[in-house]
Amino acid sequence: MGFFDTLARWLGMKKKEVNVICVGLDNSGKTTIINQLKPQNAQQSDIVPTIGFTVEKFASASLSFTVFDMSGQGRYRNLWEHYYKDAQAIIFVIDSSDKLRMVVAKDELEQLLNNQDILSKRIPILFYANKMDMKESLSAVKVSQMMGLETIKDKPWHICASNAITGEGLPEGVEWVTDQIRSMKK
Amino acid sequence: MLGLRRDKKDEEDGFSLNPFNNLEKTSVLQEARTFNETPINPRKCCHILTKVLYLINQGEHIATTEATETFFAMTKLFQSQDVTLRRMVYLTIKEMADIAEDVIIVTSSLTKDMTGKEDMYRAAAIRALCRITDSTMLQSIERYMKQAIVDRNPSVSSAALTSSLHLMRSSGDVVKRWVNEATEAASSDNIMVQYHAVGVLYHIKKTDRLGVSKLVSKFTKQSLRSPYAYCLLIRIATKLLEEESEGRDSPLFDFIETCLRHKSELVIYEAAHAIVNMPNTSARELAPAISVLQLFCSSPKPTLRFAAVRTLNKVAMKHPAAVAACNLDLENLITDVNRSIATLAITTLLKTGSESSVDRLMKQISTFMSEISDEFKIVVVQAIRSLCLKFPRKHGVLMSFLASMLRDENSSNSSQGGFDYKRAIVDSLIGIIEENPEAKEAGLAHLCEFIEDCEHTVLATRILHLLGREGPRTPSPSKYIRFIYNRVILENAAVRAAAVSALAKFGAHCEELMPSVVVLLSRSLLDTDDEVRDRATFYLNVLKQSNKALNSAYILNGLNVSVVGLERALHSYTQEPSETQFDMKSVPLATQPLAEQKAGARIFGAEGLHGAEVTPAAKAPDKVAATRQDIYAEQLAAIPEFQGLGPLFKSSAAVQLTESETEYVVRCIKHTFTNHIVFQFDCTNTLNDQILENVTVQMEPTEGFEVLSYVPAASLPYGQPGITYTCVTLPEDDPTSVIGTFSNTLKFLVKDCDPNTGEPDEEGYEDEYVLEDVEVTIADHIQKVLKPNFAASWDEVGEDYQMEDTYALSTVKTLEDAVKNIVDHMGMQPCERSDKVPADKSAHTLFLAGVYRGGHDVLVRARLAVDDGVTMQITVRSTDETAAEVISASVG
Ligand SMILES: Nc1nc2c(ncn2[C@@H]2O[C@H](COP(=O)(O)OP(=O)(O)OP(=O)(O)O)[C@@H](O)[C@H]2O)c(=O)[nH]1
Ligand SMILES: [Mg+2]
Repeated sequence: MGFFDTLARWLGMKKKEVNVICVGLDNSGKTTIINQLKPQNAQQSDIVPTIGFTVEKFASASLSFTVFDMSGQGRYRNLWEHYYKDAQAIIFVIDSSDKLRMVVAKDELEQLLNNQDILSKRIPILFYANKMDMKESLSAVKVSQMMGLETIKDKPWHICASNAITGEGLPEGVEWVTDQIRSMKK
Repeated sequence: MLGLRRDKKDEEDGFSLNPFNNLEKTSVLQEARTFNETPINPRKCCHILTKVLYLINQGEHIATTEATETFFAMTKLFQSQDVTLRRMVYLTIKEMADIAEDVIIVTSSLTKDMTGKEDMYRAAAIRALCRITDSTMLQSIERYMKQAIVDRNPSVSSAALTSSLHLMRSSGDVVKRWVNEATEAASSDNIMVQYHAVGVLYHIKKTDRLGVSKLVSKFTKQSLRSPYAYCLLIRIATKLLEEESEGRDSPLFDFIETCLRHKSELVIYEAAHAIVNMPNTSARELAPAISVLQLFCSSPKPTLRFAAVRTLNKVAMKHPAAVAACNLDLENLITDVNRSIATLAITTLLKTGSESSVDRLMKQISTFMSEISDEFKIVVVQAIRSLCLKFPRKHGVLMSFLASMLRDENSSNSSQGGFDYKRAIVDSLIGIIEENPEAKEAGLAHLCEFIEDCEHTVLATRILHLLGREGPRTPSPSKYIRFIYNRVILENAAVRAAAVSALAKFGAHCEELMPSVVVLLSRSLLDTDDEVRDRATFYLNVLKQSNKALNSAYILNGLNVSVVGLERALHSYTQEPSETQFDMKSVPLATQPLAEQKAGARIFGAEGLHGAEVTPAAKAPDKVAATRQDIYAEQLAAIPEFQGLGPLFKSSAAVQLTESETEYVVRCIKHTFTNHIVFQFDCTNTLNDQILENVTVQMEPTEGFEVLSYVPAASLPYGQPGITYTCVTLPEDDPTSVIGTFSNTLKFLVKDCDPNTGEPDEEGYEDEYVLEDVEVTIADHIQKVLKPNFAASWDEVGEDYQMEDTYALSTVKTLEDAVKNIVDHMGMQPCERSDKVPADKSAHTLFLAGVYRGGHDVLVRARLAVDDGVTMQITVRSTDETAAEVISASVG
């Protein structure tokens, strides 16, 4: 918890808590992204493939996030749905340098959108076109085309290119989510 | 028991102390959905988890889908930072690991907690993690486990070590790789960590004898801080000594002996306990251990006094002289305020004392019999039983003491309890009767009195069975009839049936009682119970024939077939209707159930050191279990080559055909059929760089025998036992030549393989390996059968085929040796306890019974006499001429 968090508490202004689920194929960089978003002192130095899930916390200017960082390996993907129900936003991470598996990512996205718990909700979805630093990586626009994002009509969505190692592009996404959630409350 | 009783009382009082008493599964699982709600209320969730845990521990069955749903809801609690809640979550994970699906979902969350900063989480997270991890997942957490084992925090290190022990069972190979970390932990300053580390090291090396002895010698030199670790080392050292049957000059024994001077009482006791329980210890080796126990006897700490006297009690029969040295101290303990200690002291004195002290001690103990628990009363009963063996002349006093214990128990309280205690008394009385013919009449009288008022059906039926067997052969059999007939009038169906059988035996054995037994039995013809009625009808009809042979075969001696086998044979007979009658000879005979001994489990399992070795199979099967031979019969019947061989007659014990440490380990079991013998070879390949294929054992038989077929083992990978069979035809032209020697060669195709992957080469080459010879002896053709009433059987078989001969046995000197040799050679069942030779007798008669291959009864009577060597007059009777000839030929 950063300085602001404690100060805010001290002033009696507790930040609003939101639950987010972070999904995407294995090796796309989910855990690395979330680690980057955490306060410096809580960051981990080495990141290994996730088995199952972990719960992490980080804060934006006005919200306090609880993120379920899911494992992206094939055998665990069917477990994502157990955590959809109480999610208020979805972060979907795509490895923009992995053209080969883009269709797999697309397929998983479709399954997610067709899930009963998601179908009925106007839940914001943030896409990170991650690993933008890689030579062969595709642009955010190209990724969005390949993933067929334009067909999502009933939910707000946003895509931004990111580099989880340096943190580039991450704040833009978090700001967008924050805005979406705050506007929904109104 | 206690718990149940209290619950009942509470219900009666109309209130309950247990707030979880009336939990309902469905509503609790409903409540568990609260876990999905945010924000989380830790207090409330803790309470719900407690309920879930309570239900699981009460044995409530939760279906997989329900359990999985609850489990996933629970995983959401990981978002709370509440320490208490998190620890409840760990507990729930462990309890639900086997009933919910996909529990590995919490793996990363637990790894995070185990490596995180919150010390309160780390140890518990390790335990939960190891519980949900299988060998495929273990790779991914291996790194963390290694770190945790050497962690500075002792609770983390201990948790990692004990979890390693549990993982040993499923993933031994992975845990073996942690040996360096465990070794480092073994030098920890923390006594628990050190203890657990030594335990893990031992289990890693357990199968490697050299490794274990190196381990022990290393730790015995570098002195350990932890007394627990010392105790463990003592147990390991004892086991090694036992296995290697090393002499007492071994450094292992020296180590145990030095532990007698350790500063911790725990270690001292462990060492003394180990020494006094070792086989073949000399008086000089025992003395220091006994004197330690003696010292403990006068300790102010009741636990030490208890431990010491209990140990002395256990070994009193083995080392009477050594234990007698503590008599004075034991006398002092007779008045110990702790009655358990007092009981053990008295019974120890009884075991070691002289005949003259028996009366005094018995009087002493009777003053507080009513104050001690059943468990200790049983100790007293057992002491009395061994006293009877030691001082046969005292049987009068001792048996009436036992009988009065029974009487007091019956009159004092009417509770359901006390069954084990009564059974111990009845067992002892029966044991005494069987050991000592002079005690028979008095003993039977006590038992008759007991069944007049006995609420335990099992005990009543056992006693009735004994009365039926022994009563008719006493000088005045008629006096038992009244007791038995009372049971027919007063008891439940099971007891009535047993009583009817007992009555029939009196009728069959004693001609003068026959008419009155017939009258009594005919009264049961209208019994309300089928079984009782059937038995009465059957026995009446047999008795009315007045035929001794029938009496013997159907009343006095009964059937000797395997119940499982009979059921199977009858079933297949009804499946395929045929004109021919059912042939009783096609049913396999009853054999003794296979008593598996798990000696190794004792040290670390049963004594509760490490759960890893507890064997679930420890319960003795009381029911009609399939015997070893029933299992073989089933296995052999499944092999097409052996289809036409008929019923399996006998399976021998296994014989080793190789030394134990060779490349290939082979043992042989001989299965005798009507005209064939199937040799079963259990082979193990101990070379990890070879796979053997098409494995057979080529046999060179003695003349007359012919190899009929081989059933090869297709493949023998490293360490996995395989079976190959060789089937041999018995000599056809001469039915009396039945014994022989076979030389054997293991033949196979070798393929070299990679020891790590087990991947074999394409090409192989033929090779062979010479095994030791196998003997077929007379015992392979005879099945043991017990004839409870030998004399009746002897008359029943008759003199038609009788052979008689007299021999001088020059090499044996005593009757005991002669009896033992004859029994071993013939492989027949001693009857009428005639294998026990009474002390200081110069003549003895041995009765043996068996069934010869093909289903023919064989009886042997061997009259023995000693004078400067033993002379034997042997008489063989059989229902078959060949059988009689073969048996008597095997003697000369
Ligand atoms: N070059 C580059 N590498 C990245 C970036 N983000 C993540 N990685 C690397 O990609 C690998 C996988 O990252 P993770 O964060 O473990 O991926 P994940 O999506 O959590 O994978 P699972 O937990 O298996 O589902 C790691 O070696 C990261 O260092 C990025 O933006 N650029
Ligand atoms: Mg991850």
